[in-house]
Amino acid sequence: MSTEAIIGSVISGLSTGMVFFLVAAGLSVIFGALDIINLAHGSFYMVGTFFCFQSTLWLGSIPGVYWWTVVLAPIGVALVGGLTERVFLRRIYDVHILYQLILTFAFILIVEELCKLIWGVGYHTISVPWPLTGAVSIGGMLFPVYNLFLIGFGIITFVGLEALFQSTGLGKTIRGVTYNREMAGALGINVPLVYTGVFMLGCWLAGLAGTLMAPMTVVKLGSDLDVLLNCFIVVVIGGLGSLPGAFIGATILGLVTSFGIAIVPGLAIVFGFLLMAIILIIRPYGLMGKRVE
Amino acid sequence: MKDFVKGITGINRVWMAVVFSVFLVLPFILSPSWLSITTEILILSVAACGLNLLIGYCGRVNFGPAGLYGVGAYATGLLLEKTGIPFAVAMICGPVMAGIIALPVGWFCVRRTSHYFALLSLAFGQIIWAAIHSWYSFTGGDDGIAGIRIPDFLFGITSFYYFALVIVSVCLILLWVICNSSFGKTLQAIRENPHRVEFIGINARKYLLIAFIIHGFFLGAAGALYCTFSHAIFPVYASFLKGNDILIPCILGGIYNFIGPVVGVAVYIFLSKIISAYTMYWLLFLGVIIVLVVLFLRGGIVGFISDEFSSIMQRRRIRGDIKG
Amino acid sequence: MILKAESLTKSFGGLIAVHDISFEIQENELSSIIGPNGAGKTTLFNLLTGGLQCDLGRVIFKGQDITNCYPYEVCQKGVGRSFQVTNIFPRLNTFENIQVAVISAQGKSNKLFSPFTNMAREETNEILESVGLGDQKEVLGSLLAHGDRRRLDIGIALASHPELLLLDEPTAGMSPKESVEITELIQKLAKERGLSLIFIEHDMNIVFNISDKIRVMHQGRIIFEGNPEEVKANNDVQRIYLGEEG
Repeated sequence: MSTEAIIGSVISGLSTGMVFFLVAAGLSVIFGALDIINLAHGSFYMVGTFFCFQSTLWLGSIPGVYWWTVVLAPIGVALVGGLTERVFLRRIYDVHILYQLILTFAFILIVEELCKLIWGVGYHTISVPWPLTGAVSIGGMLFPVYNLFLIGFGIITFVGLEALFQSTGLGKTIRGVTYNREMAGALGINVPLVYTGVFMLGCWLAGLAGTLMAPMTVVKLGSDLDVLLNCFIVVVIGGLGSLPGAFIGATILGLVTSFGIAIVPGLAIVFGFLLMAIILIIRPYGLMGKRVE
Repeated sequence: MKDFVKGITGINRVWMAVVFSVFLVLPFILSPSWLSITTEILILSVAACGLNLLIGYCGRVNFGPAGLYGVGAYATGLLLEKTGIPFAVAMICGPVMAGIIALPVGWFCVRRTSHYFALLSLAFGQIIWAAIHSWYSFTGGDDGIAGIRIPDFLFGITSFYYFALVIVSVCLILLWVICNSSFGKTLQAIRENPHRVEFIGINARKYLLIAFIIHGFFLGAAGALYCTFSHAIFPVYASFLKGNDILIPCILGGIYNFIGPVVGVAVYIFLSKIISAYTMYWLLFLGVIIVLVVLFLRGGIVGFISDEFSSIMQRRRIRGDIKG
Repeated sequence: MILKAESLTKSFGGLIAVHDISFEIQENELSSIIGPNGAGKTTLFNLLTGGLQCDLGRVIFKGQDITNCYPYEVCQKGVGRSFQVTNIFPRLNTFENIQVAVISAQGKSNKLFSPFTNMAREETNEILESVGLGDQKEVLGSLLAHGDRRRLDIGIALASHPELLLLDEPTAGMSPKESVEITELIQKLAKERGLSLIFIEHDMNIVFNISDKIRVMHQGRIIFEGNPEEVKANNDVQRIYLGEEG
């Protein structure tokens, strides 16, 4: 491969990786605190893309419309998530994992059908917003601006989240609940509220990922499963419950997929799952994950 | 062998006779399309009951059961399509191949618990699917293979139905005996307390691995049957979505009863056919039903009925209607 | 001599839970281990039965080195164990809880085609009777009263045909009357079946009444070992442990 192609793959891989990170971060954080693998997480991503599309329709031609949706759509997704947690998930926290998996899978079905009902089966597109259109020239090579933006945004989000968890009172509360739910409750922390909050945060991240990704791909049904499977791979590599792990895992997956597609297009799908299986076999807690028993 | 016979005779013979007779006369009552649906129900029952050996009895979730189901279908289908092997041999190769693949898959999976077991089994299921999907020259890839040869005596819905009925009955009886054996009871103990079970001399991993292989065998049997039923093999047989066709009926019917998955399959397929006839949003209804079952009816339909039955019996006993 | 522990050591991170512990158990000996909470008693049990890996040291049972064997191997060789926090099979009924253990001890757990219903019926009933649960066969494990659950726990341990039985706080959480019943039960079973017994206890009455030998643990070490009189008379033990108990 030529240098240009390599760097192109790297940039493309990293920017996709950042989007994976945003979604996977949500899944990982939710698992860390709530011990639930939220299968419907990809669905929240997809709802994010649809909310983004819908907002652009509603807000019409006001200036900077896309940036308004970046603010609004994720909040909308977070609210849906909060409702879901409050009404449904709350009842199945201590139940056999099978029921958690099946319940969240049912959400996938319901969300997918509702999206079909509301927005139909067609594809929708959103154009790359000003001022991030076009490409920029660095060292004689062209890079799409939006990809660079995604990479930057991903890094900033990671730093921000890490700061939130490590340095703020809220973050400490969340970490306390993650490590020992009973102790946290005994210390007077309102654990159910923290659960709802963390879940909403996770959904907000997924919705944000959806909104940011929308200009780069099409808004369509089925994007939930694509994202979900990639998400699993990321959190397995990085370790469930670890934010830095999700960051590293997402970067690795983004790059592997990008180079995989460039080198061996046919087997790209196998790579991801092989990687996931290998990690689960040799090091199930991933690079930095929380132990589960 | 003697024990095996003892095991079979443990089944309530009256019920067996009644149920079997009903199934025997169905072709005279049902229309061909409904008979075909019944055949599908029978085939999926084997898969669901096989899967339930792992979920209900062992307490572990194989989240990618379609992988082994697909292996069974493809092993049988490819042998029938590409070689001249006798039909019976090809049929038995399906489940055997699935059991063989279940060995390494299970070996890795049983070393993990709960969430990681589920994720790893999902990964393996997807790897199998991806392999089938991508290996165009061998498996026909995305196109699959249609028009697979089956013996003449199996042409016709009614003849295939009886064939399937026999095979399914044998499979279910075998599974029943295994579930009610000391092995089955030991699996339940592993489910109830995987820690304690080691301290009564049980090597839990070994037992789980054997259970995994057996469950793989029956998943493969169902796959092989389906391949001969549809005269075709497609990668979708091994897909994540197909896996849910096997998993959901277990929950619907109830994982803690042997007959639960069978009831679940019947309800699942009936509902899907009926609701799909009226609306294109069948999956929405399914999603809602699943949510209701998980929240309110965790023992599934059979679990619910059996609980109700025992509390009625309990109440009658307390009131003195029944002695003891 | 049925069991010999040599220089057993186990640490968790920086904390040394069990430090260089050695002792011998004779056949048919009824011995107890006492000590304040955190002394390492349960950890020691885990080391002896394969529940934890030893960092250092050896465990020799009937002449065989069983150090770091898996729990199921240790059990098969003849060491049974009950637990401090009741550890039964909740959704199986009382009969099945015991039956499953007996079937395992008889080597019949791997029979794929033999129905379980009547397997080991006699022996299971016998054990149920001997731990006093004969009238609760059909009750689900999770629905048993606390005291009955402890009996079941002991019953399960007995069912695996042990020659050496380790009981971890068998009377924990029981009323005084129940404790006495359980203690008499344990003594009777030990005599009837020729068991060697090690039990961890906090109830000093029981300890002094039925132990042939008492070992006192403190901060991971055995600080004293002797018969009840010797233990009562020892000043260190008085100070560290008995004084606290009053």
